[in-house]
Amino acid sequence: MTRAICFAAVIALAFSLIEADACCAQTLTGAVTSAEEGAMEGVLISAQKSGSPITVSVVSDEKGRFRFPDGRLAPGRYTLRIRAIGYDLAGPQAVDVGDASADIAISLRRTSDLAAQLTNTEWLMSMPGTADDKRPLIECMSCHSFQRIVRSTYTADEFVPVLERMAQYANNSIPARVQSRVARREVSDTSVRKLAAYLATINLSRAHGRGDDAWNYELQTLPRPKGRATRVVVTEYALPRPTIAPHDVRTDAAGHVWYSNFVENDIGELDPTTGANRDYPIPVLKPGSPTGSLDLEADADGNLWLAMMFQAALARFDMKTKTFKIFPVDGDLNDDAMQLSMVMPRSAGVDGKVWTNDVARQSIMRLDLASGKYQRIDPFTLLPKGRLHAPYGMAADAKNNLYFMDFADQNIGRVDAASGAATIYPTPTAKSRPRRCMLDRQGRLWFTEFAADKLAMFDITAEKFKEWDVPTPYTFPYDVFSDKNGELWSGGMASDRVLRFDPKTGGSVEYLLPRPTNIRRVFVDTSTKPATFWAGNNHGAEIVRLEPLD
Amino acid sequence: MTVNRAGVFLALVLISALAGLAPAQAGGVNFGDDNDNNSDQGPYFFGFVRDDSGSAVPDAKVTATVKAGGALVTRSNGMGVYKIPGFGKNVDPDSIDISCAKDGYKQDNVVRRPHAAGDNTDPVEVGCNLKKE
Repeated sequence: MTRAICFAAVIALAFSLIEADACCAQTLTGAVTSAEEGAMEGVLISAQKSGSPITVSVVSDEKGRFRFPDGRLAPGRYTLRIRAIGYDLAGPQAVDVGDASADIAISLRRTSDLAAQLTNTEWLMSMPGTADDKRPLIECMSCHSFQRIVRSTYTADEFVPVLERMAQYANNSIPARVQSRVARREVSDTSVRKLAAYLATINLSRAHGRGDDAWNYELQTLPRPKGRATRVVVTEYALPRPTIAPHDVRTDAAGHVWYSNFVENDIGELDPTTGANRDYPIPVLKPGSPTGSLDLEADADGNLWLAMMFQAALARFDMKTKTFKIFPVDGDLNDDAMQLSMVMPRSAGVDGKVWTNDVARQSIMRLDLASGKYQRIDPFTLLPKGRLHAPYGMAADAKNNLYFMDFADQNIGRVDAASGAATIYPTPTAKSRPRRCMLDRQGRLWFTEFAADKLAMFDITAEKFKEWDVPTPYTFPYDVFSDKNGELWSGGMASDRVLRFDPKTGGSVEYLLPRPTNIRRVFVDTSTKPATFWAGNNHGAEIVRLEPLD
Repeated sequence: MTVNRAGVFLALVLISALAGLAPAQAGGVNFGDDNDNNSDQGPYFFGFVRDDSGSAVPDAKVTATVKAGGALVTRSNGMGVYKIPGFGKNVDPDSIDISCAKDGYKQDNVVRRPHAAGDNTDPVEVGCNLKKE
């Protein structure tokens, strides 16, 4: 009898397991077609359940077929969205996912507003003018997309006060929240007028006399994803306020995502299983100064550090107690212009010192943890005065020697932890503007050459550079991550694409993202197989996860 | 018309004080103007890196070390030529040492062409010779 009960229980359990499996193996599949092309490859299909902050996207294959991963879409009503340059979704606009798998036919029609679909990269491809004419526009992307520029009707003269006004905005401004600098910034009248004159040739300026709805140049577009670039799942997590501007992201051991908020004074935590978001407020130290933080780094104990920008401090977030310890810049150093964008606590255990920077004075700063005092180091004293420099992305080696990117110029710098002396390494490519970096265990400093459209590596032992062109011009890579398989992952503010690059072969894949996505710091979780890519959408109040299927 | 001399003086003091306080380029945005202000540049350094047979050595590391501390590192090109764009005018060219290195070689000697002391415009030619190990 006991045995029979036991047997029955086992059978029941087995059935419940099968049932659970059957439940979660349901999926949504379908085919994408248009009258113009028939079956279409490389169309992104996005599904968002009513009331959920989570949107899942897949890409159609060469036969126009798509498939959401088994069990990824829980039963419910889903709004559908597509991304395919030149097309809009004709239907269906929504689909009910039930307990069983469903197969749907998605049809696309030609869009009536191609311009609205162009990425910043595609605008730069389309705009007439020289590379030098277009170069200043890479600054604009930090606060807004080019849609704002090209749809404006300003003449050159009307653009001048607009540019002068924007120059007084803090870097940590987004369309949803503009923040003004307290310290006025000097702007060169010559460069403003030069840029204003150019912008009035690429927008809908009345000066063209062509009306308000046509550009006097042809709109160029990038091709849709193909082959390997279609084998991917993208998950977007919408954050609860449009003013959350995720800048740097990283995951913790539990798989939660932590991100710096570029315009609000808090650190965010996202649970990717539920999409739930939690903010931990950081005290406002300088009321009236712009809020928000940029660099987010982990120290050797796994606690997180934030560079608090115009709040002129570093913050350490204790991951156990979920509390902050703030290190404000002390004394006369701390004025209205002070702007700490980076922090490097990785090797602070060696000498009790944390590296940071002051953008306003183009200098390196070093915090002594014991005293709370900051020391200023100018690594450019030996170089000619009058050239712009900007210590930006930072990495520290095992002895806490600092490596930094000279973002305004064309150098990698090293500051010796013991002597404070600086060594400057000009990049092989001129005017490269190195931006963010990471140092791997083999002593390779991986970084982007933002203005040169290159990924690069500096071997800190051999003191030698290697550079690779990104496959799509006008990508302007912001950051790069080298995963444990030796593959590079990169993204930026221009192309709405995630670049996966193999430096051994030069082979690459570019994954298109479902929405306009302003990517800053990129992070790759190599505990999954294949690796999982994470980034924030700085202007879109969302966290993006990209899972390649190979 | 009377001129308030004290007022003018105070204004001048204030202006110069403010000018002194203003950061060189707060925030670093210059609307894309290229970094071509080299008016403060001292003489550049250049030369060949060669091996003991007199052949050019490409891709050798060339270091310009400033005695007071600090350095700039570059590499020789395919023809064995290196060029270091120059430090600021405040750095005495005579206080800069050039050295070179490459795997499988050791440095033999450095040949510095005569250079007029205090001349900040004439490029400084320094050849660097390596010996096979």
